[in-house]
Amino acid sequence: MTTRSHLPIRDMDQRHPGLTKSIAASNLEAASVCLHRHHHPPADFDVEASDHTILVVDWDSPDPRIRSAWANETDATEAGACAMVLAAVEVVEGLVTIGRAETMTGADYYVAPQGSQPNDLEECLRLEVSGVDHGTNAMVKQRLKSKLAQAGQGRSNLPAIAGVAGFKVGLIVLANLDTKP
Amino acid sequence: MSWLQHHREGEQLASEAEVCWREGRQEAAQRLYLRAADAEERAIAALDRSKTRTLGISVVSAASLYYKACEYERAEEVAARWLPDQIPGFAKDQLRALLQSVWSELVRGEANARFAQGQVLISVRGGEVVQGGAPLDLITEKMKAVASIYYRTAEFLANVSHRTRGLPSRAIQESCRPWLFQAAAGSYQFAVAVQESRQGELFDNPIQPDKVADCFLSILRAGIDDPNGRLAEIVPDSDYRSTFLKLTRNLAPRGNACESIEIRSADEPKALMLDSEAREGLSKTIRNLKTDHVATDHPDTLRGTLRALHLDRDWIELMIQDDLVKVQGVGEQVDDVIGPMVNKHVVVHVVTRGGKAHFVDIEPDD
Repeated sequence: MTTRSHLPIRDMDQRHPGLTKSIAASNLEAASVCLHRHHHPPADFDVEASDHTILVVDWDSPDPRIRSAWANETDATEAGACAMVLAAVEVVEGLVTIGRAETMTGADYYVAPQGSQPNDLEECLRLEVSGVDHGTNAMVKQRLKSKLAQAGQGRSNLPAIAGVAGFKVGLIVLANLDTKP
Repeated sequence: MSWLQHHREGEQLASEAEVCWREGRQEAAQRLYLRAADAEERAIAALDRSKTRTLGISVVSAASLYYKACEYERAEEVAARWLPDQIPGFAKDQLRALLQSVWSELVRGEANARFAQGQVLISVRGGEVVQGGAPLDLITEKMKAVASIYYRTAEFLANVSHRTRGLPSRAIQESCRPWLFQAAAGSYQFAVAVQESRQGELFDNPIQPDKVADCFLSILRAGIDDPNGRLAEIVPDSDYRSTFLKLTRNLAPRGNACESIEIRSADEPKALMLDSEAREGLSKTIRNLKTDHVATDHPDTLRGTLRALHLDRDWIELMIQDDLVKVQGVGEQVDDVIGPMVNKHVVVHVVTRGGKAHFVDIEPDD
């Protein structure tokens, strides 16, 4: 069944206890820059998880100063994807960010059901986020496949969900990482 | 205060540090990362030790925060302290990887050379590659390919005319010499750092070594993701673009000796992946660059050993079983693309025209 709802990338700190105001605002800026490259607001995004959904995303067009501040495409895509994937997980899975923890190369988000108030990370799901700016649908899905394959090798921090946002193609894919590819 | 309260304090500080980093305020970011690390250590001290997953995540977080604060010895101390403890396997793996990176940073600091900001980490996986080891010829070949792309990137940034013959100039080699460092264990990994020119302060040096690594990654990524759009924006010169595509394609594995090569900046989590699928895509793009096809051309593929080439007279020769086969019309093939393939197994894509084989493309058959 295809449904149409809103992808809530604004004011995420107010619904996700694990997001500070500054990080939520920074991710929103980055998302607006990536979206601006390929779409006009509002835009439809296909979200493929256990079901297929179409979500509508709206944003304020970034001014030249914001676009210049996010000129590094890799940084913008990574941060923008955080906003998109976290919002998709919120709508589709009913999970919100309750914490972040640093790794050598970045940080992992941890999500749990809306309204739950865990005191630790024992039962939380780790969220792996990735973004593709110009790539095709196939590239977005291949990125997810790589994440699944990586999780299958070695000792992964499970349970976990992977989410990949494809900005040009308007696609977000989500999968549990303990599912075999 | 509980684990949660201390951890939240650390998160807040780490988030502010990340925003500072994105805004280019590195020193402020490092100070905030250090405070976040201290808060994370207080969180660990307050945690119920039976919560092993949370403990593992927190320990990795604390060590990572010290690493980001450039407090390498403190990162080393945290990692070494907790490795023997009862923390989950994933956390031990991450701590081991962190230790390798910490030691690499400490070694770099002691080396009699200055290095530009930004290392590129290269991981070779699958096929015949094992953890910490790989066939010598495979790694040598890939390292040479990486070095070629680095020097080409430096030439491109310095607005040097596209080189078709010989090695990069001494000036280029001395302005941004790539060094190899041991990287974290896991598949076979190495780190490449660019040495700054020894005489950089005395002479006008148009090349900024810290830009070489960034540009190198951008070119590779654009070549894989969007060769006709994004790559053309970054590299407007068609000769440079063609050379970058060919060098990137030759770096990508076919899937036999190794399955994939992952390349990323040491400062960023997102890696770009070179595998047989990327290689196929790059080959298609390269073949589409050739526009002198005739309707009666018959496409064919030759597999053999590249035994001879004469680039000025426009031919190459392959040994196919016991026969020498000449391929005409090689055109402008640059030395560092075709040179490494001499005496190696290659795949040559040709079109047969008037009974003769005419060159379209060549790639290693590994």
